[in-house]
Amino acid sequence: MAGDEDQVGDTRGAVDDVLVVDGLSRRFGELRAVDEVSFRIAPGETYGLLGPNGAGKTTTISMVAGLIRADAGTVRVAGQRMSPSHPQPKRHIGLVPQDLAIYPELSARENLVFFGRLQGMGGADLKGRVQEVLELIGLADRAKDKSKNFSGGMKRRLNIGIGLLHEPHLLILDEPTVGVDPQSRNSILESVERLSTAGMAVLYTTHYMEEAERLCDRIGIIDTGRIQAEGTRDELIRLTGGVDQIRLAGTGDLTHAIESLRELPAVEQVDHDGLALRLTVHGAPTAVAEIVTRATGAGMSLADVEITRPDLESVFLQLTGKALRD
Amino acid sequence: MGRIWTMTAADLKQRIRDRSVIIFAIVVPLALMGILNLIIGGAEEGTELGDMTVAASVPQGDASADGVLSALEGIEGLSITVNQVDEDRARADARDGTATVGLLIPEGFGAGLSSGEGCDVTVIEGDGAGLEGQVLTSVLTGIVDRFAAATVATQAAGALGVPAADLQDIAQDVTTAAPSISLTDGQASDEQLSDSGALVAGQAGLFLLFTVGFGVLSLNAERDQGTLPRLLSMPMRPSAVLISKGLVSFLLGIVATTILLVAGGLMFDVNFGSLPAVALLVLSVVTAATSLMFVIARVAKTAEQANIAQSIIAVTLGVAGGAFFPLAASGLLGRLLDLNPVAAFIRGLGITSGGGGVADIAGPVLIMFGFAVVVGVISRLVPDRGTSL
Ligand SMILES: Nc1ncnc2c1ncn2[C@@H]1O[C@H](COP(=O)(O)OP(=O)(O)OP(=O)(O)O)[C@@H](O)[C@H]1O
Ligand SMILES: [Mg+2]
Repeated sequence: MAGDEDQVGDTRGAVDDVLVVDGLSRRFGELRAVDEVSFRIAPGETYGLLGPNGAGKTTTISMVAGLIRADAGTVRVAGQRMSPSHPQPKRHIGLVPQDLAIYPELSARENLVFFGRLQGMGGADLKGRVQEVLELIGLADRAKDKSKNFSGGMKRRLNIGIGLLHEPHLLILDEPTVGVDPQSRNSILESVERLSTAGMAVLYTTHYMEEAERLCDRIGIIDTGRIQAEGTRDELIRLTGGVDQIRLAGTGDLTHAIESLRELPAVEQVDHDGLALRLTVHGAPTAVAEIVTRATGAGMSLADVEITRPDLESVFLQLTGKALRD
Repeated sequence: MGRIWTMTAADLKQRIRDRSVIIFAIVVPLALMGILNLIIGGAEEGTELGDMTVAASVPQGDASADGVLSALEGIEGLSITVNQVDEDRARADARDGTATVGLLIPEGFGAGLSSGEGCDVTVIEGDGAGLEGQVLTSVLTGIVDRFAAATVATQAAGALGVPAADLQDIAQDVTTAAPSISLTDGQASDEQLSDSGALVAGQAGLFLLFTVGFGVLSLNAERDQGTLPRLLSMPMRPSAVLISKGLVSFLLGIVATTILLVAGGLMFDVNFGSLPAVALLVLSVVTAATSLMFVIARVAKTAEQANIAQSIIAVTLGVAGGAFFPLAASGLLGRLLDLNPVAAFIRGLGITSGGGGVADIAGPVLIMFGFAVVVGVISRLVPDRGTSL
């Protein structure tokens, strides 16, 4: 997928992209909730919108899914222009809203059948597909129970199941793991991974950096309605000039060790803080073996080695000057 | 249309399952009707037909005259006492109210009947004889007329030409026909509803304004609970959602109002008259009430706001429309009150229960549909804060 590309955006093939968002903007009164947002998603790709509360994730998704009108910009899904008054392109998307969009008085199966019919499905096709989805989301044995009696995690799974029912080209998930216990959360992430492997394009919003790192082929960091940076995880980290830190704790001839380590091309800087050496390194995982050999060769006896790599959290902090989570 | 019906059916299924609509649209209003009927029932007792006394001066040994008296006493459902007195006493009793009416049957009554010549029977109604007086007068007129007709027809000289059972029927006919007298007296049409009838009509109209909320106002609830975004992401026009909600309101309104009128009618022995005319009234009032819900749904920001606004409007229109007691106002205010769909509905039912048909309720029906059109237009003009994202 897009993982190996350094430059993303206009250079990518526009023809096959499942979703093309271009210059999307939306104001609420004076507030620019979404401000010139552009991105694309290829088939089978999972794209993450990572941003804090109020960043504009849901507003972006609402325009992508044709729920609300954009003030400016366009959305194309499978080549068709999306807008609230055009029902046709909506066939290609499956929306999993941030709030639980299920009817508590209806059973799991009834919820699925209801939305399946609205998607235009029916007959044996719908029946078979409902059963498949029930099994996929692990609710086959609870299919007849009213969804109001489900646990939070079960409701979340049903919420996602409805979005997948008609096998859309693009699955849109808006913070699907909020308020979910770690176990259900993991099962949700796993099913997204499976769908992606099966070729479905996914637009995933979250304010959890670990989810974005784990699931997304590419990530757009969004804040105050603008995409601040975009790329693969590694690209994003590199964009900010992010380098790894290696801490070597030990005794012996530290002065000699410092001199020897500074000769290595991967090592940018070496500092000494009393008990340990702090190295600023490019590509710590590959450089660490050489570094350890040099340090011991120079007469240092090591007690501990610790690698710290920058994550999206630190990227976000650097881009916006604030933390991802409050 | 398939999708609209899918949404409508699912909504109806849920409303029936959570029982809210059954409780608030049917059980509560019926219970309230029962309670209110008990309260007004005490007052109504006094206006029901009480004991009646007839001071009768009758010729001795006239079988036909005796037949009239026994027919009078034998009328089922009316408690009539006949005191045989002389002519002067009969006049006096009727005047001072000792008797409800005085009855003067002249000498040769029976002979006059059988010969076909006829004779004058005098009924004296005193001041304060009231409804009982009217009823007795018409009963007596009926009996005497029938006697005359029957005896002339059979030429059965000096004998009772009509079997006693038959006489009872005649009397019954006359008594039950009594309300039509007040109709021709030209009273305001809504007064043609009995107290119980007005109660049933009023409560049905008032609670309809709550019932229709279960459809359209669930838009606000769906927005709050998060299902509206999903509905709007389906491959259909956003208006399909609105139409299906309107349809839910409409169907619930029709069913609930029909049940309330039928059940209330049976419980309190009210007959609302012509079926097609009543059906047209129900159709119009439900349309008017549903249109109002679209205004509320759009203006209210949350489901809670919508429900509060609905309660205020329902109670205001209900009280102003006369759901609890008839409200009379003249001039501009009076004309405004007349435009209230609840008032028009009650007025319409008054006309139908007084024997009016479809043609006679054109006024109320036009008011209700006019209301629906005007309010429907308003609902497109007010800012949409509740039914879109
Ligand atoms: N209908 C609306 N009317 C007014 N302001 C709105 C509306 N919808 C969203 N906003 C505002 O737009 C901004 C972006 O909101 P949005 O819901 O898109 O954020 P988000 O990234 O999804 O946040 P969260 O993580 O909390 O869901 C916020 O400041 C929000 O208050
Ligand atoms: Mg959101």
